Amino acid sequence: MSKNGPLALAYHTLFVTFMLAPILVVCWVAFTPEGFLSFPTDNWSLRWFYAIARYPEFVSAFWRSLWLGALSSAIAVAVSVPAALAIARYRFPGREAMTTLFMSPLMIPHIVLGIAFLRFFTQIGLGGTFVGLVLAHIVIVLPFALRLTLASAIGLDRAIEHAAVSLGASEWVVLRRITLPLVLPGLASGWALAFINSFDEVTMTVFIAAPGTETLPVRMFLYIQDNIDPLVTSVSACVIAITVAALVVMDRAYGLEKLLVGRGVDGR
Amino acid sequence: MAFLTLDKLTKKFGTHLAVDGLSLEVEKGEFIALLGPSGCGKTTTLQMIAGFVDPTAGAIRLEGRDLLAIKPAKRGLGIVFQSYALFPHMTVAENVAFGLEMQGVAATERAKRVAETLELVGLGAFAARFPRQMSGGQQQRVALARALVIRPNILLLDEPLSNLDAKLREEMQIELRQIQRTVGTTTILVTHDQAEAMALSDRIVVMNQGRAEQIGPPHEAYERPATPFVANFLGKTNLVNGTTVRPEKISFSTSGLAGKVRTRIFQGNHWLYQIDTDSGLVTVIRQNTGETMPAEGAVVHLVWAPSP
Repeated sequence: MSKNGPLALAYHTLFVTFMLAPILVVCWVAFTPEGFLSFPTDNWSLRWFYAIARYPEFVSAFWRSLWLGALSSAIAVAVSVPAALAIARYRFPGREAMTTLFMSPLMIPHIVLGIAFLRFFTQIGLGGTFVGLVLAHIVIVLPFALRLTLASAIGLDRAIEHAAVSLGASEWVVLRRITLPLVLPGLASGWALAFINSFDEVTMTVFIAAPGTETLPVRMFLYIQDNIDPLVTSVSACVIAITVAALVVMDRAYGLEKLLVGRGVDGR
Repeated sequence: MAFLTLDKLTKKFGTHLAVDGLSLEVEKGEFIALLGPSGCGKTTTLQMIAGFVDPTAGAIRLEGRDLLAIKPAKRGLGIVFQSYALFPHMTVAENVAFGLEMQGVAATERAKRVAETLELVGLGAFAARFPRQMSGGQQQRVALARALVIRPNILLLDEPLSNLDAKLREEMQIELRQIQRTVGTTTILVTHDQAEAMALSDRIVVMNQGRAEQIGPPHEAYERPATPFVANFLGKTNLVNGTTVRPEKISFSTSGLAGKVRTRIFQGNHWLYQIDTDSGLVTVIRQNTGETMPAEGAVVHLVWAPSP
């Protein structure tokens, strides 16, 4: 491994500082005893963490975001598998169009999607419902799920499936015992990336969520419109803590690089 | 009746004729090599027997039954792929057991046959390993064991040794031949390596542009090639005064075709000569017996026995 020169080292330090600074500042401010966003602060207090307990809608919004992310990502991955296998293996009319269609949510501004979904869901009676949120989130996370599922489907050696067939496996057995286990790392990465995007989404969701179906980012967004107290920073600090804990657990259990890069079981 | 019959087997990809009316009869227990350059149709032929490619025309019969009417999963063939195609998420034992599991063989019987077959390929101690923890040669043996354990009607080998280095390849050739003799499974090998085809098979099918140029025992095909293509593909040849003669059949003498040594290359067990003669450039291979050999620039005379 080659060593970094002083210039590269300085650049990396700057870059990491730039990336981490906002997170650190938010966490710091969360511990203020003041009634407003103050930084730097001389005294420490858990006041704003206790304050979360007085706003149960933040806690319920957190769980809603978690379920919404988990569910919409799982459905997006489930839809991605047959699509990815078809795109990776076969040349058929409409293949390019299908790929573009699945990827198109990446290119449409979320605010446009938000207005469109608001109109559409109101029309069909799904306005402000959790089902509506799930459907809209499936659309925006699908490109992430498909991208990584596709990468692992393309990397799959067809001969491995042919070998299973020659040994007497039916198509269903090949899918269950060979194909799915081999693309599983890609599915896990796709799900993780989709989940992160769903959990983070506010621009579109703010249009389609109603009181009672607000996600955490939407709840926070609406809160800071009316308040200037540091409650959102303590909520943010909690989310950051949970994220870091989850990353540590995943890294220990599975290897973070594998998860986010989507490497296969045999390192391919 | 032959064990396996290919009857005017033809495959067209678009306008390209990949396999052009190939007919072949294979006896039970025979080791056949489909030999030819890339694009000659040998792999397509193998894939049609395996069922991964459907023929455009022609028939394949196994003991008189129409093989094309049977789904690939029901053909009972053992296949060793060029990339080995082992299941990376399963151990060696699980890989080998997979086919037996599909046949519904009971667990105890399964374990016994897996152990026997791993023993046969010399991997008895490796059952619990994963493919990625093994060398190329070992993975190759696992692939062979996985194909053999189901007691296949036919063993299909698709360039099985081409990913191994030269020394290991030679060892595996000897071993593969011994194993095939032991189990007696009818075997079809696809290869572009003429030495491998000749070393392993009972009969060679030399293929070119989708057709069989010659079908016969290796020695016969080498000594009496049916076409110039076969002669060239199976080894070095000289065309002297309208007749073809193998370089190792030519020897130095005091009289005969006169020439001058242009280059002399020492290759351990033999010498390779390029000699300028009135009939053109002649390649000569002489075994290294330890005697002093003509040097570059020397004038020599060449003699050879007329070909049979």
